[in-house]
Amino acid sequence: MDFSLLLGSIQLLLALIVVMVALNLYLVFRLKDIDPFAKWNPSFLNGGGLFLFYLLGMVAAVWSSASVYNDLTLIVNPASEHGAEIDRMFNNTMIVTILVVFITNGLLFYYSWRYRTKPGRKALYYSHNNRLELIWTLVPAVVLALLVFDGVGVWHKIMSDPPANAIQVEVNGKQFAWTFRYPGADQEFGNSNVTFINEGKGNELGMNLDDKRGFDDIVTRELHFPVGVPVNLNIRTRDVLHSATLAHFRVKMDAVSGITTNFHFVPTKTTLEMREDLGDPEFNYQMSCQQICGGGHWNMGAIVVVETMEEYQAWLNQQRTFIASYKELNPSFEATTPVAARTSGTTPEIAVR
Amino acid sequence: MAEATSITHGGHAFHDEHHAHGEGHHDHHHHGNFWTNYVFSTDHKVIAKQFMITGIIMAVIGIGMSTLFRLQLAFPGTKFAILEFFLGKWAPDGVLDPNFYLALVTMHGTFMVFFVLTAGLSGTFSNFLIPLQIGARDMASGFINMLSYWFFFTSSVIMLVSLFISTGPAAAGWTVYPPLSALPQAIPGSGMGMTLWLIAMTLFIASSLMGGINYITTVLNLRTKGMSMDRLPLTIWAFFLTAIIGVLSFPVLFAAALLLMFDRLLGTSFYLSDIFIQGEVLHHTGGSPILFQHLFWFLGHPEVYIVLLPALGISSEIISVHSRKPIFGYKAMIGSMIGIALLSFIVWAHHMFVSGMNPFLGTVFMLFTLVIAVPSAIKAFNYITTLWKGNIHFTPPMLFAIGLVSFFITGGITGIFLGNAALDIPLHDTYFVTAHFHLVMGSASAFGFFAGIYQWFPKFFGRMMNARLGYIHFWFTFSSLYLVFFPMHFIGLGGVARHYYSNTGFTFMEGWTDVHVFITFAAIFGFVGQLFFLWNFFYSIFFGKEASLNPWNSNTLEWTTPLKPGHGNWVGEIPSVYRWPYDYSKPGVKLDYLPQHVPDEEVEYEEGFPRPAVAPSHSPSKPLKVEDVETGH
Repeated sequence: MDFSLLLGSIQLLLALIVVMVALNLYLVFRLKDIDPFAKWNPSFLNGGGLFLFYLLGMVAAVWSSASVYNDLTLIVNPASEHGAEIDRMFNNTMIVTILVVFITNGLLFYYSWRYRTKPGRKALYYSHNNRLELIWTLVPAVVLALLVFDGVGVWHKIMSDPPANAIQVEVNGKQFAWTFRYPGADQEFGNSNVTFINEGKGNELGMNLDDKRGFDDIVTRELHFPVGVPVNLNIRTRDVLHSATLAHFRVKMDAVSGITTNFHFVPTKTTLEMREDLGDPEFNYQMSCQQICGGGHWNMGAIVVVETMEEYQAWLNQQRTFIASYKELNPSFEATTPVAARTSGTTPEIAVR
Repeated sequence: MAEATSITHGGHAFHDEHHAHGEGHHDHHHHGNFWTNYVFSTDHKVIAKQFMITGIIMAVIGIGMSTLFRLQLAFPGTKFAILEFFLGKWAPDGVLDPNFYLALVTMHGTFMVFFVLTAGLSGTFSNFLIPLQIGARDMASGFINMLSYWFFFTSSVIMLVSLFISTGPAAAGWTVYPPLSALPQAIPGSGMGMTLWLIAMTLFIASSLMGGINYITTVLNLRTKGMSMDRLPLTIWAFFLTAIIGVLSFPVLFAAALLLMFDRLLGTSFYLSDIFIQGEVLHHTGGSPILFQHLFWFLGHPEVYIVLLPALGISSEIISVHSRKPIFGYKAMIGSMIGIALLSFIVWAHHMFVSGMNPFLGTVFMLFTLVIAVPSAIKAFNYITTLWKGNIHFTPPMLFAIGLVSFFITGGITGIFLGNAALDIPLHDTYFVTAHFHLVMGSASAFGFFAGIYQWFPKFFGRMMNARLGYIHFWFTFSSLYLVFFPMHFIGLGGVARHYYSNTGFTFMEGWTDVHVFITFAAIFGFVGQLFFLWNFFYSIFFGKEASLNPWNSNTLEWTTPLKPGHGNWVGEIPSVYRWPYDYSKPGVKLDYLPQHVPDEEVEYEEGFPRPAVAPSHSPSKPLKVEDVETGH
């Protein structure tokens, strides 16, 4: 039997009773000119309320922080070298800020309670104190300077030129998926541009078919890295802005139409190691998009796998080269065709809006 | 126009022309009819009320939108009849459409940042308080002031209309980054909706410039006798600096919007390059999306202070009045506001650390960004010291001002993380950022707005708001804002990105749904709390208890006007000013306040307290002004 109607009616009835009682009380007080709250002291209640709010708030903040701490992906379990540096800096900054929030909010709410108005109280006429003001100008300045110097150092290291031995990967964003390209056996990417895109015909990245360096390039939907080796992401987009984000590796860089951006880092934990650390056998690293890019923004992801060098090489060897997949879809394609002889059909005409 | 120009001829001339026919009628609007008095009025007080009411309406819509999309965030994919009721085809079967989710967050941001916290806050209080607190009959140009409101009104109407067009309103985020905002193929909101957004913002910028120029001119030229710059209330300093920031930065947004308009309508390539979308290659080449971000944030960052400084000014005044104590470090407060105003122009690229710009710029902007924390810290410490050994009266405005300081500290402190380029890499565009700016910019400024309304309601409408409803409103709002935005830090540190329709797309984000549910309930709780305010506000306009002339025993000049001042503000001569505005609880003085307009000879001292000698040089002096020379005074 369905009791929902009955339960609904009971709820409605209870709500009505509450409203009617409140209304009746209000009218009685109004008619008899009684103020039931006349003895409530707003100074005591609000001043006390503020201080109580602070105490309860601090307890709640500490309790909630402690209970979610292990789930804070961005500050625990870094999976890259620079990620550990960032986390260290985060913790230092956290100590400073927790102290400041704890003390300043504490004084704010304690003074609100301590100096609430009472009959006979007179405020102290105290308009300035240069020494005090100098102190609380200099102390934050020094603390911030320390944090800035630390930050500048780490930032420079992260943003330095990629090491020569870095594995090069191209990350291509589009609405709403990531496509990756490895340079293949020749270690060089073939030239590519949006004007060469031929979607559905095996050339969604716009590879220039006149550039033979691109023939052995490997195009994938998953991103694979070997552990412990520098990786350089070459980030591009073919339409709107995207942001290549690897939360576990503390990596984020926008994909900007017209240019290629970079981010290099050293992964330090394989997927398997991370699964053990987290106690989650299903775990996978994921790349997300974190620059608003349209209706599918929230779901624009890709699986990222970090493995040993051997596993990585084995995976790479299994992948087909670009030209192999392309020829399958375009059997008539001849790699040696000179540019002039090709019809304009292979390069889509530039659309004029 | 005649009325407007006469005002600029100085206090006496205005008074002679308009009040010569008899005293006693001054608390009425005389001259003109309904239209010139209440609609196309040049009276700064009426214009302030117009800004206030429009701002409140826009706030109700803007906050309402957030409760709608909070439902989707907490219960992804669940059917809600209320969504279908409000959104129709954008929520088929009661499930929000992902494109329209983005439209909602975009319009929520646009409404709240520009229409509520810029125009609503500055427009209301700069207009209302500048002439009243500096002792002027009206703004330097009442006519331009009126235009400022009507440009803003038109802009609001266009922005509201864009909600109802078939492709939906702008949906590229309130920062409208191209190419997403430039290409209708990329998202439906970038069609007509974006065009209307740009037109509305252009009118908005014009409105803001007209207002700002007026505020600056009025503060510089129309101060009453004795009101030197170092005797201005901190509210006026805040409005003055805000206006300067606005006048210097809003035109850059206009340039950005204009170029975006060209890209969209005329086929130029300022921001677009190498784009393949919906199966076709666009002809655009050589443009830079990052250029737009630089132009946008050149306004966008100062905009944060355009929103925040007036709120800080209002709270400085209120905390001093209700602590019955001088504001601590008056000059340091001015100095830090000037510092914030200057620095606000050279920190914009901290929004762009991972945008693909040259990393060297990141270093420079990180330095300036963390420097701006110093004047902010000074302000926070000065507020707290003002409370120390005070005699705190817990009126509703005071509660909101204290709440503001708390939000300013708690929200501002996370700026130290985000301003640090290296830490910003993981945190950028996560809910950590959302939490940060909703606390420090959203909540703090909204509290400035509320505090200001409770404080000056008696001057606006001659009546008091109900204090108890004010307390209820405060506790609802204060607790709900912390409950909403504090847990957002956790979601952000959990790696959940902003602007996500749902956190179910990624396994490492999925676990945060229960926190989203908590936040949504807290947000609805807070929204309910606002009903107490709306009721209190509109009821008190008509039926509130009649106010006394100076209900808070305040020192500033606005309380020397009649209960309901007419156009021109003062009956008879404008009072002169003899001291700074913060002589509260001065030792020896009989009352715990000493208004600015009371001459030294008339100050009442406690019995037995020796009256200080009054040196002749203390008499008020007024700097020579242009109009004095012109009219031969």
